[in-house]
Amino acid sequence: MARMKFYCDAERCIECNGCVTACKNENEVPWGVNRRRVVTIKDGVPGERSLSVACMHCSDAPCAAVCPVDCFYTTEDGVVLHDKDICIGCGYCFYACPFGAPQFPADGAFATRGKMDKCTFCAGGPKADNSAEEYRKYGSNRLAEGKLPLCAEMCSTKALLAGDADVLSEIYRKRIVYRAASSLQRGVSYQDATLRSPSGLTGRASSNE
Amino acid sequence: MIGDFIDGPLWYLSLTVFLLGVVWRLVAILRVGVAPDFSTARHGGAGGALRTLFTRSLPRRPVFTRGKVQLIAGYMFHLGLFALLFLAQPHVEFISERITGFGWVTLPHWGFILAAEVAFAGLLLLLLYRLMNPVTRLISDTGDYTASLLVFLVMLSGCLALAQAYEGLRLLHLLLAELLLIYFPFSTLMHAFTFAISRGYTGAAMARKGVNA
Amino acid sequence: MYRPVSGTAILRLLQLLIVLALVVAGNLSAQTQAEGIQLPNPGTDLWREVRQRAQPATPGPTSPMRQAPGIDLWSEVQQTNPVPAGNTQVKSVDSGMLINPVGDQWRRFRMEMLVPYGGYVLGGALLLTLAFYLIRGRVPIHAGPSDKRLLRYTVYERMIHWFIAAIFLFLALTGLTMLFGRSLLIPLLGPEAFSLLASASKEGHNLFGPLFLLALALIFFRFVRRNIYQRGDLAWLLRGGGVIGSKHVPSNFFNMGEKSMFWMLVLVGGVTALSGIILVFPILGLGRELMALSHVAHGVTAMAMMVVIVGHIYIGSIGMEGALEGMATGYCDLNWAREHHDWWAEQCEQNGEVVSVEEAAGTEGFAQGAPKHAPLGETGK
Ligand code: HEM
Ligand code: SF4
Ligand code: SF4
Repeated sequence: MARMKFYCDAERCIECNGCVTACKNENEVPWGVNRRRVVTIKDGVPGERSLSVACMHCSDAPCAAVCPVDCFYTTEDGVVLHDKDICIGCGYCFYACPFGAPQFPADGAFATRGKMDKCTFCAGGPKADNSAEEYRKYGSNRLAEGKLPLCAEMCSTKALLAGDADVLSEIYRKRIVYRAASSLQRGVSYQDATLRSPSGLTGRASSNE
Repeated sequence: MIGDFIDGPLWYLSLTVFLLGVVWRLVAILRVGVAPDFSTARHGGAGGALRTLFTRSLPRRPVFTRGKVQLIAGYMFHLGLFALLFLAQPHVEFISERITGFGWVTLPHWGFILAAEVAFAGLLLLLLYRLMNPVTRLISDTGDYTASLLVFLVMLSGCLALAQAYEGLRLLHLLLAELLLIYFPFSTLMHAFTFAISRGYTGAAMARKGVNA
Repeated sequence: MYRPVSGTAILRLLQLLIVLALVVAGNLSAQTQAEGIQLPNPGTDLWREVRQRAQPATPGPTSPMRQAPGIDLWSEVQQTNPVPAGNTQVKSVDSGMLINPVGDQWRRFRMEMLVPYGGYVLGGALLLTLAFYLIRGRVPIHAGPSDKRLLRYTVYERMIHWFIAAIFLFLALTGLTMLFGRSLLIPLLGPEAFSLLASASKEGHNLFGPLFLLALALIFFRFVRRNIYQRGDLAWLLRGGGVIGSKHVPSNFFNMGEKSMFWMLVLVGGVTALSGIILVFPILGLGRELMALSHVAHGVTAMAMMVVIVGHIYIGSIGMEGALEGMATGYCDLNWAREHHDWWAEQCEQNGEVVSVEEAAGTEGFAQGAPKHAPLGETGK
């Protein structure tokens, strides 16, 4: 089976937040909750890069390790999902997650967090595929329809990719090679780049994928 | 199944028992009447009755110096309970849905919790005081403990159900509340209503005598 | 159905991809080459080759070897300090942070230390107590029960003692349910029932937690005077409180051990309570680092308290004849007092505060004035 992964190319992300919007809309994510976010490092200074992050569907997920009610499971596709009927909203997954993926609907005192919500890789939840209840609790189940997550599908620069890890790494590997060759040939456009091309190697700025 | 019973018939039964029981007890008390007072009244009784009804809710110095713990814990429990019973959002929703058809302002969630904390502290302290003080222990009977315990259990089950996400916990809370409603009219818990009668009576009697009570 | 995915290869690959994404901005310095990129990967090899060909043979003054920008970018992503390094439109806790610097440590603390060792320590304490009971048995009142009593605790004191005791037990039970339920209770109850129990425990724990702070404050102010260390306490400690050997060790109203427990409760319990309060308010915008730290402090101190309290409950109940009486009725046996708190008993006897059993049992005894040994204030009310 596939191992589903997200991959975000920092060289391509233009911080348009299209993925965030797509996700919110597709999954009817409640107010105040964002399953995906775009983080910009070195904002406004040379070397600025943006990355879109959500749940990375870890292979050995820390959130699942700490959950006191053990409500996480990994699907055949390698997607990490959780059961909201079991979750007690303790927030431990949020403390453990490397990427800050788990989100909570309520922002009240006295630990009123409500049930945890996070990216499902557009794979719904433990309820029947594409049932109304699944949609209400977890959002849409595009995977069951044979589609990939909407955030990646909507990404205008194809910075955000979603799919089988082997396919993604192949795409990315090509991108790197082309990029390396390209920068060797033409130099890179941004500051502090030190590569200058020797002649003889051809490269394109980007692969077509 | 059992849930439907708790949520349906038992709720109406307990509410009926509560309402009829309270009315029956109050009527019984009022029908006893008061002995005629032949002295000439210095004042009308009504004003005194009304005033005493409220002034007796304020602590008085002699009471305060006699038993601080009981006094403070008593206020904590009663005020906390009142707030969480009538101003907590889930309760107001329930009342408006099942009884009145309209709701009113509710406390924010933290206010609800704060009220619960205060009420719990008060109730626990009062209960322990009752058990620890030889005098109160001697004058307490099973009815007092049953009432305290029932109220405590209702509050505890409510606190456990705070996540508002588990039907089982909600039903447990409801069941205990129903038991409390059924038990209410036949116990000392009736003081929630009778206090008005006794205070009114005292106030009226004193006012007639021209005493500022 | 799902099958559990094991192994970290995918995680490593993902990590690799992110590293590559970021370092591609510049050339690789020798140090990253040594660090992150070791997996066999044709892309990496190619990149290495390309890089080598791009490198001037000797870095002269005209082509300085510079730290590649991608590398400090990566170090910012992999930030080790808990202040979010990035900006984002999403406003929530730590959302500007790409990689959580403390999550892994915290996870290892909870799952690899708190859960297993906490279990061993708590289980060990229970077993030790049982063993102690089996070996030493109940400490009797050697002179036998007498028909004289001493007023030991006022109503107020007993009230706050049972107040904190009830709250403590409830907090311990609910806390332990959250901590060990996954390993001990899910197999018994199944996930749905345990979820209900865990939610109830969590809500109950959160509501009663602040009450523990209140109870602790009441206890502290009432008992602090009698728990200041005095002359004689050191001797008590050196002689092991009479546990080692059978020689009796004299003591005051509270002995050295009880005083130490008091201070432990106040200090350690204070940390438990305060860290718990932080945990109760998750959405004060507090970052995960503070929450994780509070959780660690909370877990460790709660465990410590529970272990000590196991011993306390043991001595107060089955471990020692006559010990429970004082806290239950307010009056203790004169012989018990002579054997365990002889200096205090002596003082009471000198002050003529000894009462008969009958007086102690009825309201008569209750009407007795407070002993002068301590600032007891109210007698009975
Ligand atoms: C005094 C005030 C206390 C407060 C405010 C408090 C609060 C908390 C909170 C908020 C949690 C985390 C649960 C969650 O996030 O839902 C927690 C966990 C816990 N508490 Fe407390 N607590 C207090 C006292 C105690 C005491 C006295 C004990 C033990 C006797 C205790 C034992 C535990 C345990 C064992 C956990 C579970 C830790 C885990 O699951 O990793 N707590 N407490
Ligand atoms: S929530 Fe966090 S820890 Fe869990 S799988 Fe997603 S990224 Fe990994
Ligand atoms: S918030 Fe829910 S999913 Fe996260 S650790 Fe707690 S119970 Fe598990």
